[in-house]
Amino acid sequence: MKQKFAGILLIPLALAPLATTSLQAQDRGTYALKDARVVRVSGPVIEHGTVVVRDGLIEAVGANITPPADAWVIDCKGLTVYPGLIDSLSTWGNTNTPPAAAAAAAGGRGGGRGAVVATPVVATPTPAVSTAPPSRGPEDRPSTASWLKAADQIFPTDRAIETARNGGFTSAVTFPTGNIFAGQGSVIDLAGDRAGDMVLADAIGQYITIPSGRGGGGGRGYPGSLMGVIAYIRQIYMDAEHYKLAKSIYEKHPDGLQRPAYDRALEGVIASPRVLLPATRDVEILRMIAFAKEMKLNAILYGGHEAWRSADAIKKAGLPVLLSLKYPERVADSDPALEEPLRVLELRDKAPTAAAALEKAGVKFAFYSDGQSTPRDLMAAVKKAVDAGLTPDGAIKALTLNAAEIYGVSNRVGSIDKGKIANLVVSDGDIFGVRTRVKYVFVDGGKYEPLPEEPAGGRGGRAGRSGGF
Amino acid sequence: MKRSVFIALLLASALSAFAADVPVLIQNATILTITNGTVKGSILLRNGKIAAIGDKVLAPPGAKVIDGAGKFVMPGIIDCHSHIMAEAINEGSVSVSSMVGIEDVLNPEDIAIYRALAGGVTTANILHGSANSIGGKTVVTKMRWGATAEAMKFEGAMPGIKFALGENPKRAGSSQGGFGAVPTNLRYPATRMGVEDVIREAFNDAKAYKASLAAYQAKLAKGEPAIPPARDLKLEALVEVLDGKRFVHAHCYRQDEILMLIHVADDYGFKIRTFQHVLEGYKVAKEIQAHGAGASTFSDWWAYKMEAQDAIPYNAAILVKKGVLTSLNSDDAELMRHLDKEAAKTVKYGGLTETEALSLVTINPAKQLAIDKRVGSLEVGKDADVLLYDGHPLSNFSKVEKVWIDGHQYFDRDEDEAGRPKKAIEKKALTEKAAPAGGRGGQGSTGGPNQ
Amino acid sequence: MRILKFALPLALAAVLSAAPAADDTFAVKGATIHTMSGAAIEGGTVLVRNGKITGVGKNLAVPKDVKVIDGKGLQVYPGMIDAATEIGLVEVNSIRETSDTTEIGKYNPQLVALTAVNPSSEHIPVTRYNGITSVVSMPLGQVIGGQVSLMHLDGWTTDEMGVKPRAGLALKFPSIQSGGRFQMDSGGGDAGGGAARTSFADQKRNLDKEIAELNQFFESAHRYKQAKEAKLPDFKPDLKLEAMIPVIDGKEPIMVTATKEREIRDAIAFADKQKVKIILCDATEAYKVTKEIKEHNIPVILGPMLSLPLNEDEAYDISFTTPAVLQKAGILFSLGSLSGGANLASRNLPFQAGQAVAFGLSHEDAMKAVTKNAAEIWGVGDLMGTVEEGKWADLMITDGDPLDARSQIRMLFIKGKPVDLSNKQKDLYEKYLGRP
Repeated sequence: MKQKFAGILLIPLALAPLATTSLQAQDRGTYALKDARVVRVSGPVIEHGTVVVRDGLIEAVGANITPPADAWVIDCKGLTVYPGLIDSLSTWGNTNTPPAAAAAAAGGRGGGRGAVVATPVVATPTPAVSTAPPSRGPEDRPSTASWLKAADQIFPTDRAIETARNGGFTSAVTFPTGNIFAGQGSVIDLAGDRAGDMVLADAIGQYITIPSGRGGGGGRGYPGSLMGVIAYIRQIYMDAEHYKLAKSIYEKHPDGLQRPAYDRALEGVIASPRVLLPATRDVEILRMIAFAKEMKLNAILYGGHEAWRSADAIKKAGLPVLLSLKYPERVADSDPALEEPLRVLELRDKAPTAAAALEKAGVKFAFYSDGQSTPRDLMAAVKKAVDAGLTPDGAIKALTLNAAEIYGVSNRVGSIDKGKIANLVVSDGDIFGVRTRVKYVFVDGGKYEPLPEEPAGGRGGRAGRSGGF
Repeated sequence: MKRSVFIALLLASALSAFAADVPVLIQNATILTITNGTVKGSILLRNGKIAAIGDKVLAPPGAKVIDGAGKFVMPGIIDCHSHIMAEAINEGSVSVSSMVGIEDVLNPEDIAIYRALAGGVTTANILHGSANSIGGKTVVTKMRWGATAEAMKFEGAMPGIKFALGENPKRAGSSQGGFGAVPTNLRYPATRMGVEDVIREAFNDAKAYKASLAAYQAKLAKGEPAIPPARDLKLEALVEVLDGKRFVHAHCYRQDEILMLIHVADDYGFKIRTFQHVLEGYKVAKEIQAHGAGASTFSDWWAYKMEAQDAIPYNAAILVKKGVLTSLNSDDAELMRHLDKEAAKTVKYGGLTETEALSLVTINPAKQLAIDKRVGSLEVGKDADVLLYDGHPLSNFSKVEKVWIDGHQYFDRDEDEAGRPKKAIEKKALTEKAAPAGGRGGQGSTGGPNQ
Repeated sequence: MRILKFALPLALAAVLSAAPAADDTFAVKGATIHTMSGAAIEGGTVLVRNGKITGVGKNLAVPKDVKVIDGKGLQVYPGMIDAATEIGLVEVNSIRETSDTTEIGKYNPQLVALTAVNPSSEHIPVTRYNGITSVVSMPLGQVIGGQVSLMHLDGWTTDEMGVKPRAGLALKFPSIQSGGRFQMDSGGGDAGGGAARTSFADQKRNLDKEIAELNQFFESAHRYKQAKEAKLPDFKPDLKLEAMIPVIDGKEPIMVTATKEREIRDAIAFADKQKVKIILCDATEAYKVTKEIKEHNIPVILGPMLSLPLNEDEAYDISFTTPAVLQKAGILFSLGSLSGGANLASRNLPFQAGQAVAFGLSHEDAMKAVTKNAAEIWGVGDLMGTVEEGKWADLMITDGDPLDARSQIRMLFIKGKPVDLSNKQKDLYEKYLGRP
């Protein structure tokens, strides 16, 4: 699958205009990270250990390992090695063009008046003018692209990939966006020349988004309200069940029975082993738990800002959670006289406590970027969760092994174990520390060295983000 | 903090609201039972139910005793038509939206619930809006403020569905931009004739769907290979209507459309449970009564649209006098807070007795929703959904002081008032914490910071 | 000219129509008289001659020629006044053709509500039925909607109905409409929707511009007046600015619609700056500004108090308790049904007042709010609002408390004339009650 080729050293130069902030050495040779503090995540921390990387995989990890003779030995004294970080719900690397055919012909973004909130930053290039008639019901399969796979629309030169990688992210579970049934996510590694080289798992689950807004008059077709969207999702899963059954009966008796029509929307749903359901507020979390139970879905909840209220209910339901690292904030430059309800203030105040509450309740959860692309912001958000009670171990797990386990790829990534893919991040201190710098990143055994960031005061700092006027 | 108290209650009420509640005995009060006259005496709430009513009721050990001297007790108010606690009201994209349901989008944190409680409402029928000839599914709820959405539902209450006739459902069929504008994206129907047609077509489909299920079963019975019909959420709800398992609550105004729907129902063999708003119901009271439908109307709304031109505040009185099971509803989060005072207007307009008036917001809507074995009057064995007033509930000068649902106190005016300063402090602290560095401008804008 | 047409003939009209007519001369005997100017008089008598009250007291002698109404067991009150409403200007809210509330343009001080009042409106008899004898009807509009008109709810024509066609200038104070949307970031709920948000800075800039423009309009009126008084040769009459002269002279009040605290404060600052007389209208958040309102001696017309709190965390009863708060602060206030809506119509004015009683206002103060106070606020305290000698006999005779929905108005008099209490709704009631 992966290829080695000779002209490697030339590549950084060739890519220079693009890759301005990292030195890249994509030689998937043999490395020995020596004398490092090794945070394996899957086991106890090794205070002075060595990690050997060969041919893209972890060959050995332990305290008493002699670097192989052919290895490029990197002295990691004073440095810490972590498994590469994973963004558990991402759009990184995704060209993210909702299929015009589906979106337009099926009634735009579900007929909702608002944007698809679950992916706030990503623009949803819905065609400005749709000539297609509005959807008349679930049978028109509105706002559905369930058959799309993120793996099929990876864009290796997406700037977000490099930015994330420089911050220690080596993988992302990336999804198509822009529809109620947005499509299937893929686990990708955040380095590679060809899309195909980057994909670890191509179809790990269906991403469901719910357009916001109370709905009302319609205009853009069905579904035009939250109620309609939920009813639509319910109908689709019922139809999928029926579709499977009908096909199997037809296979047995093709003579004399009506042929079930091929339905790509249902094919896409059936091909998805998991379903991601939006659940940010307590009421939504409980709603989606009930829905997953009713429809017997293998569900993952995402959002989770108010999970501090519903942690026990989530635990009882046995569902994993993807926690957004984009905490809600007062809308920048809003009217100072606009009084915000206590309910909203409290939700904001407590959003960073959700992780600790989930950890305490024993819920499996992973963090996700939620449209942010600056690792520094993501780390600051994780730090907030730690300050609010999340254990540091829990924090690193939520960025590595938990994500891998939730998506069923923990036999490949998520921890520093022999045989796993060599996705590593080497930092000069605690990965969540404000002053910590990422020294090296290994993706698929390739070594990347982020250049020092521009001096403080530049973009991306915390100060630059605080809103207000 | 009040909120966390509520959250604690949430668990309590979700499981068994009353298990932890001590018995409550209200003494020396005027008790308006609605169904069994007025009692001067005591009422005991225990284990979520009304345990005793009488001149003298002994306080059980551990009971909380409330002196009701000069005060009035009545059953919790029931609103047969509300849209509170719903995060969506209309699925207006289609003429028949029976596949959607309000029960999917209940938001137990809607402040309107608390406000309704403070106005004495303990039960409400939460309806889909009126944008479609056949709208979405409805759900009966109790105002268990602090409970989860699931626990808000009135357990065992018959589910319903909203129909809508007249101006609203045909609006989407009218061209925007006024007379002569080129119609675009019009949604059938645009007339009352079309509304009837939509309903008939839908029930035709529902009958065909039902038949296809039967045909499948027959094939199976004969051992023939068969593919079951796909489940259709839209038609399932209508089959439930045909099977008498789902109540029809039909929004309507004019007498012609009321008669139309009665004919349609007769033709397809189902019953209208309630006509909602039914502002011209007084013109066809006889026909409504003969069909066996209830009427749930406003006290005195009129003149807000053409079909409300012949609305009269005497509507409820005529309907009552002509034997129609009648209730007053709110359809509005504000009006919901004083349905008692709305009921008082029927004493003025049409001369109903005080008991008849109070029945319009208690036992009658309970009967309409078929929950009258549980709520709607003060009777031993019924749910302890009880209001305490500082004066006669029909008097404009009296107000609700305390509200119990299932024997659990959900509203207490004294506590509400006492809790206000603390809430304000808490809010101030959170607001300041959330505010970015640098002060906020003052409230006045003149001379204020201007950037 | 228009101004003359309205301003001049009122006093005359009153005198002319006072030609002896049997039915505006009578006495009510033996009733409880709630004068609103002093204590109630049990078993009292009200004497009415030629439409005016000529005597109120316990042991009044009733001249032989005067028809006597037996008031035993009944109550006499001054007729109620809806201090701000749209009665007569709109018939069916959803049918544009039946509405004359809102003219095009920002500044329309020259428009007079009474011009467009339909004396045949069904709302008039329906409203009267509950004891309302006078209303102040108001044009709406973007900024200056026009002149509000105080009128009786009786008369063959608008001329007969009109009491004070130019009672005040309707000004909707510029404001920032901040939507109640808060970032909760979820796949549902009430976030999102609506048009793109304008930043507060932009809204504020726009507000400042609007207020500056409003001030400029007032400055133009001053310059116009100077030019007019100076009899400049090139002076040209301007209907808009002409209509502003009584306002800038402080002879005519401005009814300023200002709902939220910021608007109320801005409106007070504006009145200070322009040295004009204002009445705050629909001042929902007046309870936050009582000190300033009292200091400036500004009267307040509250909108329907059967309305929801503006903010989620506000006390559930904030709108019910506001009247008591204003009373305590010594602020002169009244009630108006405003644009009302279906269930907040003018006819429910007494029950709005009743709600205030339930939440702390004394019954007497509530009654005054919809009678005496309204008359004083609109400058007709000498004509109506109380049962006192010299005032018009705008009276309601009831079998109970008029603020309690269970009581009935038995008789209603406007300028001493008995008013027909039937209306379309009552007719339909009787007709269909009798349907076989």
